[in-house]
Amino acid sequence: MVWLRDIVPAAQNNINTHFILLDKGKITSDGQNKMCLALAADKTAAVHLQLWGEECDAFEAGDIIRMENGIFSYNRNNLVLRAGKRGKVEKLGEFTMEFVETPNMSEIKWVPDPNNFNKYVQHSVISPHSRIFPPTP
Amino acid sequence: MASKLIRIASYQAENQQELSLRQAFDLLESKLRPPFPLIIPSPQEYTQLNQAILYGVLVEPHFAKIHIKHLHAIVVDGYKLFLNLLDGLVNELYGKFVDSVKDQLIWVTREMIDVSAVGIDGLLVSLLRQIVGGDFSGGNLWLCFELVGVFLSKWDCLLEEEPLVLTSALYTFLRLLSDHCRLLRNPELGVLRQLEIEFCVKMLREQFHLCLKIGRDLVRLLQDLVHVPEFRTIWKDLVLNPSEFRTAGFSDISELYCTRTSGRYFLLRITPEMETHLRFLLTHVMLGSQKRYQTWFAKKFLLGPERESLVVDIVRFICCAHHPSNEIIQSNIIPRWAVIGWLLKCCRKNYIEANGKLALFYDWLFFNEKVDNIMNIEPAMLLMVCSLPNYIDFTHSLLEFLLLLVDNYDLDHKDILIRGVSSAFHTVVQKGVVHSLDVLTRCDALSPSIRQRLQKLLLQ
Repeated sequence: MVWLRDIVPAAQNNINTHFILLDKGKITSDGQNKMCLALAADKTAAVHLQLWGEECDAFEAGDIIRMENGIFSYNRNNLVLRAGKRGKVEKLGEFTMEFVETPNMSEIKWVPDPNNFNKYVQHSVISPHSRIFPPTP
Repeated sequence: MASKLIRIASYQAENQQELSLRQAFDLLESKLRPPFPLIIPSPQEYTQLNQAILYGVLVEPHFAKIHIKHLHAIVVDGYKLFLNLLDGLVNELYGKFVDSVKDQLIWVTREMIDVSAVGIDGLLVSLLRQIVGGDFSGGNLWLCFELVGVFLSKWDCLLEEEPLVLTSALYTFLRLLSDHCRLLRNPELGVLRQLEIEFCVKMLREQFHLCLKIGRDLVRLLQDLVHVPEFRTIWKDLVLNPSEFRTAGFSDISELYCTRTSGRYFLLRITPEMETHLRFLLTHVMLGSQKRYQTWFAKKFLLGPERESLVVDIVRFICCAHHPSNEIIQSNIIPRWAVIGWLLKCCRKNYIEANGKLALFYDWLFFNEKVDNIMNIEPAMLLMVCSLPNYIDFTHSLLEFLLLLVDNYDLDHKDILIRGVSSAFHTVVQKGVVHSLDVLTRCDALSPSIRQRLQKLLLQ
């Protein structure tokens, strides 16, 4: 299990984590598939979560979710965490999980590690909080 | 994967309780029909047998009687484990039970009452807690109907074996009646209401000495029903003819006022899920970070025209059944007064807001340092003080409400009210909840008349 503050963009579906859904955006469709962006967080960090297909209707804000074999990568120009084709997401419960909204791993500029071009490292913070789901005042 | 016990939504993680019951059932299925093996099981086998029989009772209605006979034959602990498993199941999964399982649940509860099973009082309380206040959906009213039926038909048995649980039922149905009697035009409620009234009147007239155990909140509940004909006479007797109750030791309503209501009664009108969420909020969430949690809580539990009435029960719960440790009080965790302030502001209906304030101040009215708990009165004091200066109107409305209560709540016992509220104010200073009452009496933003009335009260 990995904390959200420790995830790094990679083309690998090896992210096992759990988090609470803070907010859910509008469900859009590209004709065939439903998609929706959401804000997820644990007690170390937040991230943008991409829900796909039936996942969009299955989860609501306040849900505690376990993700297995997820992937954190650039998808249509958004840096998002998602289950992907080989991962899975499951609802464990509701409400009883602490979270922080900063840092947001999707609002960080990542650059290739100069020592290892296959890995990414944090370069700078684009925004301390999600710009799509700003914290409620 | 489908389940015979619960409705599983897609993307839902497997439930451990359901899994262990089902696995036990699958493992022992062949041994669940007569002739039953007469070998004495080991503790682990005994547990599995109980789990399997429980699962069988709930999902195989046609074989339920056989399963129960089997249980009677093997039980060695007064059904304690069986009820423990069932209680856990109800608390966690009742909302997800398929309908036939709910029917079986009521059936097996009656069976367990008949054998005076150990823990039957706990199970009945857990079931009462699953009736959601302010919820008039068919499923919820069905549970109400079934439970009042159980309490009426098993009256003699319960009176003899578990009399206290009857007081829990009384608290519950009195509280529900105040909701049910508001929606008079709903025909479905007619039969249910009559049964609830029948049970409550029976308790009050025949077992008043038991009803006294509820304490002062019994008065608070009865007051909401004064407009109901069957309760009007009871109320009149309570106030004017206490001897009508023929209960030794009860000669005046003030004896009820002086009895603090135990915290366990306030759990009755909060579902276990609500309780878990509220305790989490008050234990783990820092002041300033509560907004999202509050949105989720309101959406889940307070949305709907009649659901707001739950605020009254939640306020009572927070004041009397959730007492944070000193460590939490001194930390940045959101304090009880802040949650109560938010709940009161959620109220759209005036009468619910008024009942919420009454719930907040109820223990103030009769406060006695010797028998009352300062933790029950602390939230109200802090809410008034911490709302200054930014929410001065709120402090004003709270203080005014309190002073109005002292003047009007019970004209025949005004001396008790004055003593109670005055005592409450002095105790919060004495115990260090606030440094001094100057914060109120010398607050320029509060009207001079309110300050004067407060000072006059404090001098008595």
